[in-house]
Amino acid sequence: MNVITTQGLSKIYKRFEKEAGLKGSVKSLFNRKFTEKHAVSAFDLNIEKGEFVGLIGPNGAGKTTLVKMLTGIIAPTSGEISVLGYYPNKLENAFKKQYAVVMGQKSQLFFELTPTDTFRLFKELYAIPDDLYKRNVGYFVELFGVSQFLNVQVRTLSLGERMKMELIVALLHSPGVLFLDEPTIGLDAASQRQMRLFLKEVNREKGTTILLTSHYMEDVRSLCPRSIVIGGGAKIYDGSTDNLFDSYQTRKKITLAFDTETDFTVPYNCELIDKSPYKVVFMAPKDGDARLISTLAQEYTPIDISAEEEDIGAVVERIYAGGMNR
Amino acid sequence: MKRNIRFILLLIKLKLSHMMVFRLSFFIGFFADGMLFAVQLLTFQIIFGQVDSIGNWGQGEMLIFIGTFSMINGLNMFIYFFGVSNIPRLIRTGGLDLYITKPVNPLLRLTFENVNLGSAPLLIFSGVIVAYGVSVLGAEVTAPLLTGYITLTLLMTLLYYDMEVILRTLPFFFIGTSAIDRLEGELIMLNFKVPGVIYQGVFKIIFYFILPYGIMATVPTQALSRTLTAGGLLQALAVVVFFTVFALWFWKFGLKHYKSASS
Repeated sequence: MNVITTQGLSKIYKRFEKEAGLKGSVKSLFNRKFTEKHAVSAFDLNIEKGEFVGLIGPNGAGKTTLVKMLTGIIAPTSGEISVLGYYPNKLENAFKKQYAVVMGQKSQLFFELTPTDTFRLFKELYAIPDDLYKRNVGYFVELFGVSQFLNVQVRTLSLGERMKMELIVALLHSPGVLFLDEPTIGLDAASQRQMRLFLKEVNREKGTTILLTSHYMEDVRSLCPRSIVIGGGAKIYDGSTDNLFDSYQTRKKITLAFDTETDFTVPYNCELIDKSPYKVVFMAPKDGDARLISTLAQEYTPIDISAEEEDIGAVVERIYAGGMNR
Repeated sequence: MKRNIRFILLLIKLKLSHMMVFRLSFFIGFFADGMLFAVQLLTFQIIFGQVDSIGNWGQGEMLIFIGTFSMINGLNMFIYFFGVSNIPRLIRTGGLDLYITKPVNPLLRLTFENVNLGSAPLLIFSGVIVAYGVSVLGAEVTAPLLTGYITLTLLMTLLYYDMEVILRTLPFFFIGTSAIDRLEGELIMLNFKVPGVIYQGVFKIIFYFILPYGIMATVPTQALSRTLTAGGLLQALAVVVFFTVFALWFWKFGLKHYKSASS
């Protein structure tokens, strides 16, 4: 069953433009020029109940605009949209009670008060019955291991601890759909890992449908079986996350270290990244990398040789550049 | 309704808890608003101490007028000013996103989430000035008259609120509204000093029906001094109803045009 459906969804913003300088400003007073920015164009989307979907795209791709339309914050310019059977921008309370949104850069917590104070406000906001409130607070606090922070000022919490509280607050009313906009932004590697474990658990145990927007490709890769890549407001990929990276993660980063000065010649079809007499780093095609490593090991006898997966950000850039449609 | 009242009470409790975190600010709030009132009284002494009457109002009516305006302003500061005045910033920064996505009217939450206990002394002082004005006037105050005065003062506080909401909804459509804020401040100061009874012609139309700051303290004062006509009362009630309906409609209209902000 689809919980999110859009068809031909578009959002167009009008942008004011003027020539540089004072002359341009004076001219703009009398002759105002506007251009149209297509933030989201003819976007079709179907998300089923319980899915965990990643939304990937560079800055300005239209990810946040799409999430804002799905949550009713802004109205679409055209197209059809339905979330949990509602038209989001009608802003019906019955709809708002069924989803939650967490924005990594906007806090819902009272900074000077304690997390428990914010929990109490959300209990009233969502009219959460006492037993459900207690059950959910108990469940999430234990899952996250944050019981010792419930009665301290939010201001004194670390970013990682605070994000855990943000998620607990968002999940107190057991939403059917959770929109996550950059939930791991600014977190260290350990906190990001914890956050992923938690989100996986929520998706599995509670059956919550989750739409995740993240710049950290590892978030999407480890959490979302399905990915949607958006570029210039249009969908350029919608399918299996594994398939996405298998298809586009076509290169590996090879590093060789030598104990003597070595004049290294970059193999055919490889791209040099860094080179010194004792070390060389280059990108090589993923296909045949084992054979290439073996050949290089025989030819140069390095003291160390390593092959790493290509940076996932670069993979996504390649998809944008290719403008692939699936 | 019951749920909204519980929600409002919780917001007030949270705000008080928040204020008490900053102990010094908590007590300075009382001091600052007390001083504000003292300055207003001094202004009144300077401006009105030299004349016996303005229009057909004597010293008693003028004292009630000043006390009433101060009380409306105090209620505004006490209940909603600091919440409503946040609206333009939330619109510009996209902070309104988090209000819109919650299952409670965003305007209700904004209205009551920043109550200012520091304005409580202003209300008490204002009441004292009104009582003194009544004694100078030598008027007999019956229970129905007092009830009518309080009701009209609360209705005029609602009108003041309507005007604040309307002006602070404008940033949904325009970015720079600081000039409008300044204009609002000037109009309030003007009408704090000048009773509505002296307006004639086009000024009466402006300050009674378009920017109705002129009736806010005037009508309750007329009620307490028994000079309010039935026509004047109906006219004032119509203005309150119109501006309340318009403010709520305009807010909803603004929300539909909310563009949020880039993250």
